[in-house]
This record gives sequence, C-alpha cells and structure tokens, in this order.
Amino acid sequence: MTAATYFEDVVVDKVQLTPAITVTAAHVEMYEGLTREMGSGGIPDVLPLCMAIGLGWRVKAPPMAVQAFVGLDWKIMKELRVGDTMHTRSRIVSKRPLRDGGLVVDERTILDQHGEVVQQGKFTFLVAKRQKEASA
Amino acid sequence: MADLRRYFDEIELGEEYESPGRTVTEADIVMFAGLSGDYNVLHTDAEFMKQTIFGERIAHGLLCLAIQSGLFTRATAPYATLGFGGLRWKFKAPVKIGDTIRLRAKVVDKKDLDKPDRGQITLDRTILNQRDEVVQQGQTDLVVQKRP
Repeated sequence: MTAATYFEDVVVDKVQLTPAITVTAAHVEMYEGLTREMGSGGIPDVLPLCMAIGLGWRVKAPPMAVQAFVGLDWKIMKELRVGDTMHTRSRIVSKRPLRDGGLVVDERTILDQHGEVVQQGKFTFLVAKRQKEASA
Repeated sequence: MADLRRYFDEIELGEEYESPGRTVTEADIVMFAGLSGDYNVLHTDAEFMKQTIFGERIAHGLLCLAIQSGLFTRATAPYATLGFGGLRWKFKAPVKIGDTIRLRAKVVDKKDLDKPDRGQITLDRTILNQRDEVVQQGQTDLVVQKRP
C-alpha cells in the first residue's frame, strides 16, 4: 500500500503550495479536441481548473486517500492567457467524519506568475479512514 | 458572415436544451489524465479499482464536467459568451468506461452586471447516463454579451 494521508491525518488550516505549470497552446488544443468545445481563441475557463487538480497531486506530502470527488463551488476571477504560468494553493477548511471515511473541504486558489488570483473555490472530497490493523 | 450567436437579451428564462449523447471511452480518460496530470488510482489503476466499490476505473469528475461544457455547445445555438463566472457542482454517481452521457440544461436566472454591455445567465445543468441516472448536477453562471 502506498503512503497516503487518511482522514484522521488531515489537518484543518494546513496550507500547501504546488509546483507551477505553464499553460500552452498545446494544452488548449488537447482540451478542445477532447471536449469538442468550440474554440474562442483564449484558454477555456475549465482547463485551468482541470490542471489545478493535477498540480494538487504533485506536492511532497503523501496524497489524500480520496475515494470520491463530491462537489465543487468555483469562481473565475481573471482570464488566463497562453504562456501564463499557474500554480495553486490549497487550504483545508473543514473535515467532518462519516461512518465510512469523512468529508474534507479543500479551498483551492489558482494564481498566475504575478501572484494574482485567477480562479478560486472549494472542493469537497470523500476521504478514506485508515485501515484498522488486522488482528492476529 | 452572419452572427449566429445569441445575445443576453434574446435568451429567455425557462429555455431548456438537451444535448446529443457521448460515450466516454478509455481513451478519453487516458487523454484527460495526461492533460490534467491527474493520475489518481481511481482513473488509472484497473487492478486496484477491482477491489473497490466501483469495481473498475472511473472517469474523472472534471472530465465529465469538461465534456458537458462541449455538449452544451452542441445542444443550442452558441451564446455570445464572454466567460464563465462560476459554478456550483455535485458529483453524484460514477461514470464508467463505455457509459453514454448527455446534458440537460435550463435557464433559471438572468441578471445585469456592473458593466452595461453584458449580463449573467445562470443555467441548471444535469448530466444523465444511458439509464437516465443523474451522474452530475449543478449550476453555472455565464457572462454573456448584450446585443451591441
């Protein structure tokens, strides 16, 4: 079993910064090919959100043991342009235990190379609890 | 060339659209993993997923959100959209390889914005699968140009 951050180990208010990624015309073309969304010339607003999720897995800490993505509340503040370099900041806002696993609300902010907020919102994840030690 | 886009003024409350269907393939999931960098086991490890309640790999929630955004453009004449304002979204059920999803959307709110040349259109959106089960549901706010 690979190392993971289970529900019990999630720390409220913990802040993590991800590495950055430059958004290229190739990303836009791949996105438009995949979604068949008609091009507007710019970066489709959902693309940075999709890339933010990927960046979240690249932090040094063991990844959260996510069982399901439950919901999303999201705002777009600023348009991103091809050639801009985005990174994200994550802050755990709250956690609530359920019988199996628990809900974790993670506030994510996408920032550009000038440190300006591009998009921001809250992800709700269902996160697994640690497996009970097998009794001998 | 004729401007076929629909402006804020022409879009009416209560309008409803339904898109064609689209089958979500393994290739879609692999491409989306590459594009987003989200290689979570849920989407990429077939053996691990056999032991979970899903029984197999599932599509990324955001892949289906992105696909519905494309389906929307095939469900109605294009809006004169300037951008996305925001979204409130729930992932209700998994989408598996081979499932066929389609979008149902309804205009539920229209309001003016600070800038006089644009307004905000709010749509209720539901993604259904081939068994008519709701897999995702939410609201999106679009910033749409007024007729110049």
